[in-house]
Amino acid sequence: MPRALLISYIDKDSFFHKLNPVTKLVITISVIILIFITKSFIHNLIIFIFIIPFAYYSKLTKQVFMPIKYLFIIFVILFVIQGLFYPFRETVLIQLPYGFAIWTEGLIYASMISSRLLVMLVYGYLFVLTTHPGDLVSALRKLRLPYIFGYIVLATLQIIPRVQSQMATIIEAQKSRGLETKGSIVKRLRAYTPLLGPLFMGSVQNAIERATALEARAFSAKCEKTSYRETIIMKKDKVIMVLTIICLIIFGVTSWLL
Amino acid sequence: MAIVEFKNFSWNYSGYRSKVLRNINLSINKGEFFGIIGGVGSGRTTFCSAIMGLVPHLYPGNIDGELIVDGLNTEKSSMSDLSTRVGLIMQSPDTQLTGAGMNVEEELSFGLENLGTPRKEMIKRVKKMIKLIGLESFKYRNPFELSGGQQQKVAIASVLIMQPEILVLDEPTAQLDPLGTTLVFNLIKKLARKGITIILNTQKIDYLAEFADRVAILNDNEIRKVGKTREVLTDINLLKKNRIISSDFTQLSNELINRKLYKGALCMTLNDAKEMISKVKRG
Ligand SMILES: Nc1ncnc2c1ncn2[C@@H]1O[C@H](COP(=O)(O)OP(=O)(O)OP(=O)(O)O)[C@@H](O)[C@H]1O
Ligand SMILES: [Mg+2]
Repeated sequence: MPRALLISYIDKDSFFHKLNPVTKLVITISVIILIFITKSFIHNLIIFIFIIPFAYYSKLTKQVFMPIKYLFIIFVILFVIQGLFYPFRETVLIQLPYGFAIWTEGLIYASMISSRLLVMLVYGYLFVLTTHPGDLVSALRKLRLPYIFGYIVLATLQIIPRVQSQMATIIEAQKSRGLETKGSIVKRLRAYTPLLGPLFMGSVQNAIERATALEARAFSAKCEKTSYRETIIMKKDKVIMVLTIICLIIFGVTSWLL
Repeated sequence: MAIVEFKNFSWNYSGYRSKVLRNINLSINKGEFFGIIGGVGSGRTTFCSAIMGLVPHLYPGNIDGELIVDGLNTEKSSMSDLSTRVGLIMQSPDTQLTGAGMNVEEELSFGLENLGTPRKEMIKRVKKMIKLIGLESFKYRNPFELSGGQQQKVAIASVLIMQPEILVLDEPTAQLDPLGTTLVFNLIKKLARKGITIILNTQKIDYLAEFADRVAILNDNEIRKVGKTREVLTDINLLKKNRIISSDFTQLSNELINRKLYKGALCMTLNDAKEMISKVKRG
């Protein structure tokens, strides 16, 4: 079975890996809050560049940037659509034929959104890469979040690769029966439509099986739950969390005032 | 003392006209090793899932009569209450994995986490179970990436570790090789000796002959016969009528009796056969 394409934890012995999941969650959420406070995409790019030391200290310098290529097409669409049709357009940057124009405000808006996406993606991905799902669940349980929430996080991470490989299997099966998956977009869309049926039925079947398996393991037993994996909030976690929040306030206020 | 009691129990899956289990009357005693045999599609898997309460709590349908498990009416009690008493092991391994464990150890501990077992105790039991079932070589692998046989071992271990009072096994060795099968049956026997109630549905009647106290034939959605293991498994006509192939030992002894080469009772186990052969030799 193929490993997850996008979402998967990579086991490394690094400083960042050893932090408590809650600490990493605080860092990630702080960064996300911060990019929604900033008013200029340049600030967002600076925040983006800060991923480099983080990535370095988690020994995942290359992997963190892998998913950016999936965003590329979204960036192109954003820039084209916002550049041409941004509703609050005022300044023409380049006049195009047939009354079209590329608008400065549209491009600025697109770069703002793109930089936010970029930052969320790499920081989010760093979190996923460095946090063992079991630890995350255990930490969430300790925070007294409902344990079902913890399971959903964990199982989603586990089931996604299964759905991916299921999809690959269905596609292979259909291809061997003459399904065309190449050609124009319309052609491809038409080709993939018949795959949705088996995939959906498979998912329903999967859900029932998973529910059975969970019940067989006393998932709904009403008692105080415990955790196999231990997650302790250590002194360094506390220090980093406090520092993160201080940084959030300083950067947030500065960026807002600039 | 009855620990599982079917009282005129019938079940049909909603949307299907005919009943998958029809007027089942059966009581299984505490500490008993109880075997189920029968034909394909006769409702044996449904029988097993009823004891765990999957029928009717997970599958929609209609119950007539009642099923009492350890004093609980399965229809009226919750699955969480039943799940602390009954352990269910099914035939296909990957459907029994929860997705809650990134590796085998965590998959094993998941049930204990749900029961609130203290962490120290949990670690101890996981270690013991890994050794008992022989999972050492892949204990850090992702359960979804194991072979069918390995997955089945993990599934069995994950249920056993919860130490249920009643263990229901639905063709647990269907995916295992002969070595794995022997290992699992020996394990089941060990558990039976500890006083756990075992309900085992299997096609491998040689193993039932060896271990079971009583055996029931479930065929075409009804219980056709319940009796002492020897009484049921050496009744060649009864088995034939229910499309069950009797053990090679039974067939051999039957053949020898028919040819007037042997005058004893029908054999059921390897030991019976050995005894018979020594008698035939002497005779
Ligand atoms: N979830 C379900 N929904 C509807 N019908 C079902 C369901 N599960 C089983 N059945 C039907 O109930 C009947 C008995 O199935 P069951 O799996 O209990 O038999 P079995 O004796 O275990 O068969 P096998 O020898 O194949 O394991 C079959 O006709 C089957 O189609
Ligand atoms: Mg079955």
